[in-house]
Amino acid sequence: MTRWGMVIDTDRCTGCGACVVACHAENNIQTVGEEEAGRGRAMHWIRIERYYEGEFPDIKVRFQPVMCQQCGHAPCEPVCPVYATYHTPEGLNAMVYARCIGTRYCANNCPYTVRFFNWFSPEFPQPLERQLNPSVSVRSAGIMEKCTFCVQRIHDAQDVAKDEEREVRDGEVRTACSQSCPAEAIVFGDLDDPDSRVSELGERARAMHLLEELSTEPSVIYLRGGR
Amino acid sequence: MASFGAEAVARSHEENLIRPLTAFRPKLFIGSLVTGAVMALLFYSWGYQIFNDIGVAGINRPVFWGFYITNFVFWIGISHAGTLISAILRVTQAEWRRPVTRCAEAITTFALMIGGLFPLIHLGRPWVFWYMVPIPTYRGIWPNFSSPLMWDILAITTYLTGSLLYLYLPLIPDMAILRDRALKENPKTPRALFFRIMAIGWRGTLQQWHSLEAGIKAMAVIIIPVAVSVHTIVSWDFAMAVQPMWHSTIFGPYFVVGAIYSGVAVLMVAMYLLRKGLNIGEYLSDKVFNNLGLLFLAFAMMWGYFTFAEHLTVWYGNEHIERLVFDERIWGRFSPFFWTMMFTNVLVPLAILPWPKGRSPLGTAIVGFSVLIGMWIERYLIVVGTLSFPRLDYTVGSYAPSWVEMGIFVGSIGMFAFLYFSFVQTTPIVSIWEVREGHHLEVKAQRQALAAAREEP
Amino acid sequence: MSERIHAAFVSPYDVRDALDRLEQDGVSTDDIEVRSSAPLDHDVFPKRHGVHSRMPWMALTGAVLGGTGLFSLVAWSATIYPLPTGGQPLIAIPPTGVVTFEGVALGAILFTVATVLYECGLPGLWSAGTGPLDHHLADDHVLVTVKCDEGASMDWAAKALETARE
Repeated sequence: MTRWGMVIDTDRCTGCGACVVACHAENNIQTVGEEEAGRGRAMHWIRIERYYEGEFPDIKVRFQPVMCQQCGHAPCEPVCPVYATYHTPEGLNAMVYARCIGTRYCANNCPYTVRFFNWFSPEFPQPLERQLNPSVSVRSAGIMEKCTFCVQRIHDAQDVAKDEEREVRDGEVRTACSQSCPAEAIVFGDLDDPDSRVSELGERARAMHLLEELSTEPSVIYLRGGR
Repeated sequence: MASFGAEAVARSHEENLIRPLTAFRPKLFIGSLVTGAVMALLFYSWGYQIFNDIGVAGINRPVFWGFYITNFVFWIGISHAGTLISAILRVTQAEWRRPVTRCAEAITTFALMIGGLFPLIHLGRPWVFWYMVPIPTYRGIWPNFSSPLMWDILAITTYLTGSLLYLYLPLIPDMAILRDRALKENPKTPRALFFRIMAIGWRGTLQQWHSLEAGIKAMAVIIIPVAVSVHTIVSWDFAMAVQPMWHSTIFGPYFVVGAIYSGVAVLMVAMYLLRKGLNIGEYLSDKVFNNLGLLFLAFAMMWGYFTFAEHLTVWYGNEHIERLVFDERIWGRFSPFFWTMMFTNVLVPLAILPWPKGRSPLGTAIVGFSVLIGMWIERYLIVVGTLSFPRLDYTVGSYAPSWVEMGIFVGSIGMFAFLYFSFVQTTPIVSIWEVREGHHLEVKAQRQALAAAREEP
Repeated sequence: MSERIHAAFVSPYDVRDALDRLEQDGVSTDDIEVRSSAPLDHDVFPKRHGVHSRMPWMALTGAVLGGTGLFSLVAWSATIYPLPTGGQPLIAIPPTGVVTFEGVALGAILFTVATVLYECGLPGLWSAGTGPLDHHLADDHVLVTVKCDEGASMDWAAKALETARE
């Protein structure tokens, strides 16, 4: 059985933001504009959290890319009254847009604050609508959304593998963020395959989960930054 | 013929009750118009929000819930005035309950209707709210009964059904009394028709009384645990989430006590206004206010105790993330709200209610109003206070309501008042037959005392 | 031929005396109807009129049916269309317990009201309230109606009621 997972090496992350842009392009995420962003309604399925250590001028900046952690025991899932979010057999925390009625309970119960709500319907002014990804639906107002681990890419790879009557190879599926990361800080793969890169990296001593104390069993593993 | 004199006085009191139902009262009519206009604000704002999307509200990320959920909890809390109090008083057979039950039960029903509206108002896509109703369709949409929101729906449906029926059952004989009067005077008026329909053919036979009383008793017993479950479940909307200062086992009882507290507060204000406006001081007497004032005082202390217990455990536990929310509430950004709440909810009641003079109609109404403000703030603190501080520091947020949220809030108060005005003009606000029954029981006690006195040598 | 005699009483105690006399005269309790605008005390009217109610039992039946009904619905729908959430079992007992409780309460409420309506014969006749003395009910008087099928019994019934009225 496949269990999709991700490893993020915070030592490698330079905070360039390429992953954020790639994610927006891949997943048809709306850009809300200055005013709305100022009201805390910016939508970035992946964000780069910046933390500062030390006093100026002896200051150190740490970057921590955060997206949906695809928790094994996801707090967001059971609270949804309409099964708009549930757990797939491949360990994904799926979001069913058509079912969502917009109670926003899942977002409240997400300790990582990585769920995003469409306060207004998205607008893609000319010619931006031409770059929309046809494999991903555009979400209308009143619907929750979040990182899907680029599920459309997973499905594409699985289709190809099925046609060629083989398993999906390690490294065959790359999420938009991992593909665009110049420092190769983000690695995606199957955590259940002991030979995959994510499994190997995930066993390193530096491996950790975000907010591990909540035992949400995330599928995203962080490699602690060196001091 | 002293008894005839007493009868005549009782009749004239009853006339005071019945007058708003049989004659045009300009004050009540104007009241309906004004409150109806305020109610229209709710529907205008809500319509505006539906057409222009939920984003016109001030909620954002991470404060995904704001005024709407605050008002939801507030109104559902108020709904605990009536049915619960009336049921407890009925089960314990407190004689002074008789004039109180009806106006209390009406508060429950109307507050529940409004409270039940808010989860719909707050939905991102309110037109598909029926996805939460278990209707088997080809689309395969089915609700998740593990979600606290589904518990909410079930509990509120049960409570609303129960309170409506619990309000209506004791109303049937009163409607029959009004029907009999109206049929004698003029059977052709619309009022006569209304009373005739509402009385559904009640005749008042021994069997009917027996079954009705058995039914009311059973309902009173059932509705108490339902009321407790409703606000417990509302609190579990928060307590089931892993957010700081929400994830607490104390929330169930804390919310139930807070709900009854705010419910009694509305009851005190409403009873004061009814007494003033309808001139029915013989029924809503000083004694009733005094007794409810004592109950009110007890709940003030219980609420204070729960609030202390909740905050003490958080402070003592000293978990980083809980302390963050705690500190902002006590000393930080939300401290003006918190200390106002402590003033209105603890200091004011404890300063006024212990004194017999403080438990006058005006005194209890003032405390009631003060507590209402405080209880609204409490819910605001719980909703916004926690959501503003997520676990990952990077996403700290803030919240300010938009005019849409304000309009809906003000409109909901107007709606409550409008429904109450309408109720007063269609229903005797004090249960006539229950008061009559109390009168019969008094006569019986007098006769027994008399007989006992005769037997003594 | 069947006729009815109506009488209005101010005091329930007079009604009791009248009923005593009717009983002495051998009138079947089925032919007597006592109506009032407030419940009459059980001490005044010991259970001579065979009133009965299945109330607590019907409420209990409703509770059992409502509880099992809702529990079965939840358990069955979770099994035929399994959607795991949050690492919880498909039929998670603690949350289902909450749901079941509401089913119990709703069932009990609906059965209670249905029982009241059934036992009271409600919704009843449109003609209710149009009887010759019915407006006396509104004045808190007690109405006694005796059904009789012969002129003779009419005589004694009239006499009995008259004596009772004093």
